[in-house]
Amino acid sequence: MVLAHQMAMESDMVQAEMVEATEFPDLSNQYHIMGVPDTVINHGKAKMVGAVPEGQLLAEIMKVTKN
Amino acid sequence: MKIDNKPEGVRARRSNQMTNLLNDDVRSQVSEAFTELREPVQILFFGSKEQCEYCDDTLKLVEEIASLSDKLSVQTFDMEADPEVAENYNVSLTPGLVIAAESDDGPVDYGVRYAGIPSGHEFSSLIQDLLLVSGRDSGLNEQTREFLANLKEPVYLQVFVTPT
Repeated sequence: MVLAHQMAMESDMVQAEMVEATEFPDLSNQYHIMGVPDTVINHGKAKMVGAVPEGQLLAEIMKVTKN
Repeated sequence: MKIDNKPEGVRARRSNQMTNLLNDDVRSQVSEAFTELREPVQILFFGSKEQCEYCDDTLKLVEEIASLSDKLSVQTFDMEADPEVAENYNVSLTPGLVIAAESDDGPVDYGVRYAGIPSGHEFSSLIQDLLLVSGRDSGLNEQTREFLANLKEPVYLQVFVTPT
């Protein structure tokens, strides 16, 4: 599950945080985290449950950005 | 690379502060993986004295990991004592970790963060991150690199995980 971190490495515009859901229940509730892994993009603009392959995460980032 | 870290190894807290969090098996597996480390990496630890159940264990964990290679070092910060550093690295949750490249001018932020203790599954992720940052290469495919290189607005990814 280091894909998000790999993306962060690649661009100064990307930050990626791995959040231990049980330690931060308020944040987990805020994004309605039911299962893990769950990837939240730009504070809820998009959300992807389960392990996502590189191409799929990229496609989702493309959707929520104006590039 | 797969490292089998038994979560109970990390849960053996409170019982005896002197015992290692990582057992000998895990230590030797991690040491083996660390032979691939190339450039120095700095782990920035952000703790808090207020209500931080996992701060002590997380610091102990990263210090044990860092002790396995002279290419790794740990710098510790406190949310209350070093608020501007925390803000600089956009860290608001504790325990917080930033995996940064170490350079002559200090740590170089790659935007790689952890909120909460990286135990269980996340332990392997942390080891992988250290190797990636040490290699100074994301390993992503060309299409992804090209898109990310042209990003015009910030992207913030939060990956929610659990220890097991």
